[in-house]
Amino acid sequence: MNQHRQVSLRVVIAMVVALAGAVASAHSASDAYLTLDAQKYADPGISGNAVVHGQWDIALRDLNFVLKLDDDGDGNITWAELRKHQAAIAKYAYAYLRVSNGGKECAIRPTRQAVDNHADGAYAALFFDIECVGAAKGITLDYRLFFAIDPSHRGILVLRSGDNTATSLLSPENATIELTLY
Amino acid sequence: MATFGYPKPMVRMSFHHYSPLSRWKGGRYVLLFIGSALATAASSATPADTNLTAPAAPYRAPYSPSSDAEVLQQVPPASDSKVREMEMLRTALNADPGNLRTAERLARAYIDFGRQVGDAHYTGYAEAVIAPWLARQAPPATALVLQATILQYRHLFAEARELLKKALKREPQNAQAWLTLATLDMVQGDYTAANDDCVQVARNAGFTLGLACSGNLRSYLGQARQSVALLAQLEGDAPSLSAPFKAWIQGLLAESAERLGDWTQAEAHYRKALTYTPGDNFLLVAYADFLLDRDRPKEVLNLLADYSQSDTAFLRLALAQAALNSPELPRYTWIMAARFEALAQRGSDYYGREQVRFALHLQHDPRGALDMAQRNWQMQRAPWDARVFLEAAQAANQPQAAAPVLAFLEQTKLQDPIIEPLARQLRAQLKTTISRAP
Repeated sequence: MNQHRQVSLRVVIAMVVALAGAVASAHSASDAYLTLDAQKYADPGISGNAVVHGQWDIALRDLNFVLKLDDDGDGNITWAELRKHQAAIAKYAYAYLRVSNGGKECAIRPTRQAVDNHADGAYAALFFDIECVGAAKGITLDYRLFFAIDPSHRGILVLRSGDNTATSLLSPENATIELTLY
Repeated sequence: MATFGYPKPMVRMSFHHYSPLSRWKGGRYVLLFIGSALATAASSATPADTNLTAPAAPYRAPYSPSSDAEVLQQVPPASDSKVREMEMLRTALNADPGNLRTAERLARAYIDFGRQVGDAHYTGYAEAVIAPWLARQAPPATALVLQATILQYRHLFAEARELLKKALKREPQNAQAWLTLATLDMVQGDYTAANDDCVQVARNAGFTLGLACSGNLRSYLGQARQSVALLAQLEGDAPSLSAPFKAWIQGLLAESAERLGDWTQAEAHYRKALTYTPGDNFLLVAYADFLLDRDRPKEVLNLLADYSQSDTAFLRLALAQAALNSPELPRYTWIMAARFEALAQRGSDYYGREQVRFALHLQHDPRGALDMAQRNWQMQRAPWDARVFLEAAQAANQPQAAAPVLAFLEQTKLQDPIIEPLARQLRAQLKTTISRAP
């Protein structure tokens, strides 16, 4: 009897969960927005290398899950808390982004961070430059942010080059993509 | 512009200037939406986006807050016992990564918490937890059922069904698999299959759950009175049962009372349910829908004031603003559209019926709403799916489009004081259309 009840209660929870599946989930799942701007590609940096400017918006909710941004645990991430973790955020995020050009790794140079608001909440905006040796027309981008802890995470990539805008959806199945810069 | 994944934006914009997509194309402008405080509208458009004909949109460029104390984002507080439980289980799993039992508990805790607060992120975390077992040649039934629950949450019903069948092939007495399948069959309107599932639930999980299962089912079969009678038996017999279970039973009772048009009872059950699981997203939006139908939009604003981060709650807030003719409405509409657009960008289609209501009541686009209702009907056939379909068909003046839903209602004998008159009107219109035809 006791054992039977245990099973039932375990199942009860499952059932409550399962029935909620009937109704839509209420938040969009995890997204990050990666915007690359290759407009100045034709105008190489001081070093003579090609530079692409980037902005990477990552949800504070997601970052809180892996890095615990809410230090005092009060349920509010403040600007002071976020600032304190900016170095850790950069270290974490950039480890999951690789850019190469013809098999040669390009440098990703973080420039600054800010706060960006999207319809579903606040995001950390990570600004960076991608610097590749020479004047390649295309790059290979490898994106793995959060995939190991949340396979439903998606990177929404927008590449702007001159008047053209291309978009792509980065997922565990589509983590490496070739981009034509211009 | 090169496009990906989805063929066209799912959100149809009746008012171009409220289109988040056009903002997106125009630059890296994003929305300002801080926590639940919608009151702060920043209208600091950058020069590139200045458009004198468009009203100020609630967005601003990336910024650095001026005050350290500025709250940027709300997250679950550390004091929440569920948060502590998830952390404890996570620590345990990290220490013993091969322990399926711990993984199962953690995945379930994530799914349950995500459901409660209405946050899809947690199903992603759960998916990662069970991924190593699913990757095996012969995944354990537990992992299959959990993954099916996750897929169901994402409205990937066919894929969920496949996993459940696989789990039941391995473990024909797996009660959780039967329960999940019962839900799936109910959502998709296959009530014969759901009845068989409920029998299996009773056989493998016991009387209480079997009763709840078939009590739930009967409310869809024109037997709401029996449904109430069955579920009421579980009401009294509850001291040993968990709060989520009690809340669930009260929620089902509320739904059955609504089928019967017994508004007083329905409201009492919703309120009681919320005493067991306050803040439960599923119950809050169901109660908000009840209040909207009773023409009590102000109460919806109070009820959901703290829950605007949830998309489903946000839609009800927007509908309440519409009912109140509020000057806030354009901003709510804009933000709702942006949230749907964000979903479209990631190629998701979670919110069938919510998108129909949005298109119909807030964007005043009955043709678009009808399109979405038709697509949604291919996946979901719960009473709300039938209702939004009929409403869209009527608004679009296309009674013939409603034929599959009318046939379904005739067959299932669903009783509902809102859906039945709607169906009657459409049948009458349909007859007129046919008799007018040459």
